[in-house]
Amino acid sequence: MVTAAPYEPKKKQIVDHLAPTAVDKTFNSKATAGEEGMISVRDMDFNYGAKRALHHIQMEIPSKQVTAFIGPSGCGKSTLLRCFNRINDRIQGAHIASGQVIIKGKNIYDKDVDTTSLRRQVGMVFQKYNPFPKSIYENVVYGLRISGVKKKADLNDACEYALKSAALWDECKDRLKQNAFGLSGGQMQRLCIARAIAVKPDILLMDEPCSALDPIATLKVEELILQLKEQFTVVIVTHNMQQARRVADLTAFMYLGELIEFADTLTIFSNPQQLKTEEYIRGQFS
Amino acid sequence: MNDNPNGISEDMQALLKKPGLLGVRVDRQSLIKHFFNGCAGITIITLFLIMWSLLRESTGFLPTYRWELSVYRQAGLEYADFIEKPLSEHLALHSKLNRAFNAELNTISRESKLRRDAAFLIKQQIEEKTVLQREPLQEALDAGNTPPEKITALRKTLTEATAAALGSEPLPKLFNESEKKSLTADLLGLQPDVTDMPPFIKSLMDKFIEQDKAGKEKYAAFISALDAFEEASEPITELHDGMKEQVLEVKKAATQQHMAEDAKFKLLEAARAAKTAEKREGFEKDAAQTDINPIDYKTNIDSLITKLPEYESLIPAYKDAVSKAMEGIPQKADTHEARELIDQVRKSFPKHLAHVDESVDHMKAWQWDKPIPLFRALTAFLFGGDWITNSSWQDFYGVIPLFTGSLLIAITALLIALPFSVAAAIYTNQFASPREQEIIKPFIEFIQAIPSVVLGFIGISVLGDLIKETSNIPWLQWIPGFPVQERLNMFNAGLLLALMAIPTMFSLAEDALQNVPRAFSEASEALGATKLQTVFRVIFPASISGVFAAMLLGLGRIIGETMVVLLVAGNRIAIPDFSDGIGAVFQPAHTLTGIIAQELGEVSRGSAHWQALFMVGILLFFISLLINFLSRKVVKRFQLPKI
Repeated sequence: MVTAAPYEPKKKQIVDHLAPTAVDKTFNSKATAGEEGMISVRDMDFNYGAKRALHHIQMEIPSKQVTAFIGPSGCGKSTLLRCFNRINDRIQGAHIASGQVIIKGKNIYDKDVDTTSLRRQVGMVFQKYNPFPKSIYENVVYGLRISGVKKKADLNDACEYALKSAALWDECKDRLKQNAFGLSGGQMQRLCIARAIAVKPDILLMDEPCSALDPIATLKVEELILQLKEQFTVVIVTHNMQQARRVADLTAFMYLGELIEFADTLTIFSNPQQLKTEEYIRGQFS
Repeated sequence: MNDNPNGISEDMQALLKKPGLLGVRVDRQSLIKHFFNGCAGITIITLFLIMWSLLRESTGFLPTYRWELSVYRQAGLEYADFIEKPLSEHLALHSKLNRAFNAELNTISRESKLRRDAAFLIKQQIEEKTVLQREPLQEALDAGNTPPEKITALRKTLTEATAAALGSEPLPKLFNESEKKSLTADLLGLQPDVTDMPPFIKSLMDKFIEQDKAGKEKYAAFISALDAFEEASEPITELHDGMKEQVLEVKKAATQQHMAEDAKFKLLEAARAAKTAEKREGFEKDAAQTDINPIDYKTNIDSLITKLPEYESLIPAYKDAVSKAMEGIPQKADTHEARELIDQVRKSFPKHLAHVDESVDHMKAWQWDKPIPLFRALTAFLFGGDWITNSSWQDFYGVIPLFTGSLLIAITALLIALPFSVAAAIYTNQFASPREQEIIKPFIEFIQAIPSVVLGFIGISVLGDLIKETSNIPWLQWIPGFPVQERLNMFNAGLLLALMAIPTMFSLAEDALQNVPRAFSEASEALGATKLQTVFRVIFPASISGVFAAMLLGLGRIIGETMVVLLVAGNRIAIPDFSDGIGAVFQPAHTLTGIIAQELGEVSRGSAHWQALFMVGILLFFISLLINFLSRKVVKRFQLPKI
């Protein structure tokens, strides 16, 4: 199944193709036609200690669209996603080696950036649903509480808004005070989404949000993602190419820490420009 | 193999279990299994053996104690104790008034007393230092025929030595310069043949005597009131002493009778077990010779009860006398201490008078032949307020003073240890760098390696003085219980026990924090929470069950600890006086564990005291069991649901 070895010589070639300008051109021509994106990554290298995890990433992620990252395991797609809210900082030795990540005109890796307020603007949903051991209500308003909101009415409004946005309101409006662990897996994941959007971030990062869910729950979350893109810029990491095809406007294919191709989803899946992308999409390796 | 009884093909023979030895399979696998099984079994059997031996040693306690209590009643000791109660109250009140009086007197004569004592002290020190020069002179003078020039020379050396000693010995600051000069002159004039006090020291003595006299004159009314107060109880005390003598005689007889009965019972037992008829006859003869006359409690009680009218008739005179004496106590005392003491006495005085009247009612209602049920012995043990042993009057085995001591020490220790250990665990687990963790964890766990006896040393030699000195700092006097009277007290023991419990609680709390899934803190931080918010809103609440378990296990360790409390808690068997509120922790106390360690070695095996100590052991056992049970419940109650 893994046919990585024969491609070794070609990999060099791909890297050569991956000059920043090449990617820029692809992106600009296909997706946003020269407009600067919500998140722009400028020639970024990322390290875990001495080990380089991402090489020369260059991309513009447009606003109010769903962007999917696909690629084989260990290709760095999650690492890249986690760069956008600097949650990687939790890991000892993880740091950006060069380049910039610019969100709303500000390099978030500048020294004067406050990560807590950054994370209030860049929400995140994790692979495994992780509600807190509190009530549903307390889970949703957690983000507000820690940012100092105390008024009961504000909290209630935010809770209703977030649960409605996450399509969870009808299911749990009568049990807001019950422990969140009483929900089903799919509901818990949607609760995590509600928790993330309750603070009204600009960007919502999703790290394989459906990998722990059954097909029906997956479907619901995917529908939700399509709704959410009206309000938020959604970046999603997925293992599932069908999912990327179903929900994403743009798709980025990554391999061995490099961004191989980034274009609108239709192009990536029907007419990929890079050989590597084509082989991955055809299922020739994973 | 060829003839196959079961009709199983040869290939399938391997499937059959091999026959075992006596129904037990003895291949290697099962031997290993049985070994582990046996180890677990031995542990459980040992536990049961411990429980069984505890129960065996203490089963006799309830009947024995009931018998002792019934003698206490039937012999009339209980009756006499009704009078004892107001009498001991009277004694306590008098001692308080006495303390107040001394405090007052001190205001006048304290300084002159201090000056006199300081002068005496310096004189003594000088004399000690010059003893080598003094002795030859003394000998020369005693001899009588020594030439005068030699005596003069000896006198000179002595004076020089005195001057040298004075140079090295600073004079107390109590004296001003001119006084110091006259004191020096006095001391230089010290010669063995001068018996009169030197003039300056003499003047100091006179001054003290004069002031003491003046003080006593000033407080003459107080003194006479005090004396009147003390004397008021004399007739009653006399009556009570007479009663005591009488009932003790009866008690002694009853005890002897009991022992004789016991001996006879044993002889009869032996007779029954004897092998030859000869021996049996011998035993039976001995048994028959043991005379057992039933004790005539009734006559004694009848004569005892006749004392009641006498007591009743003494009461009005007593009440009059003490009330009058109380009027003589000054309304306004000069010192704070005296004021407080007198206030206390005034407050409890009406209660005391009421108790005197009540004692008569109790005596009238008392029935000497009312039987004591077995559960009464148990309640007297569990809820009795006195633990009195080896008494010439009556032994009581009430566990409450020990229990309150143990409980107060445990609470103090827990309240101190909990914040420290939990805070240290939170810091180490959540904030410390890996390097800091490497340093902190072993250091805290190292505390466990300190033997508790050594901690006891520290409590006696360092902590006790530290607490006492701290309690004398003027601006700390708002703390209840300050100033502290005793160096060894419950707070001291609590501090050391907290130190002992911290490693256990720290390690367990740290584990509990470690076990909180990373996903929680990740989610919290992704929502923009700071580290501190994450810790206090998510991680700590999620680990609360583990922290509770840590607390309860620490409590178990504290309750069971013996050596430190034995050395440091002060070992006074009394229910703490809670009139000072929380300050009661600065009083000494004895504990459940300490009493066993202290007394078990000294009691005769099988006596009521011995059995009572085993009962205390059982009580401790049940307390530990309860704590364990609670910690299990708590952990279950607060456990995180699995997702």
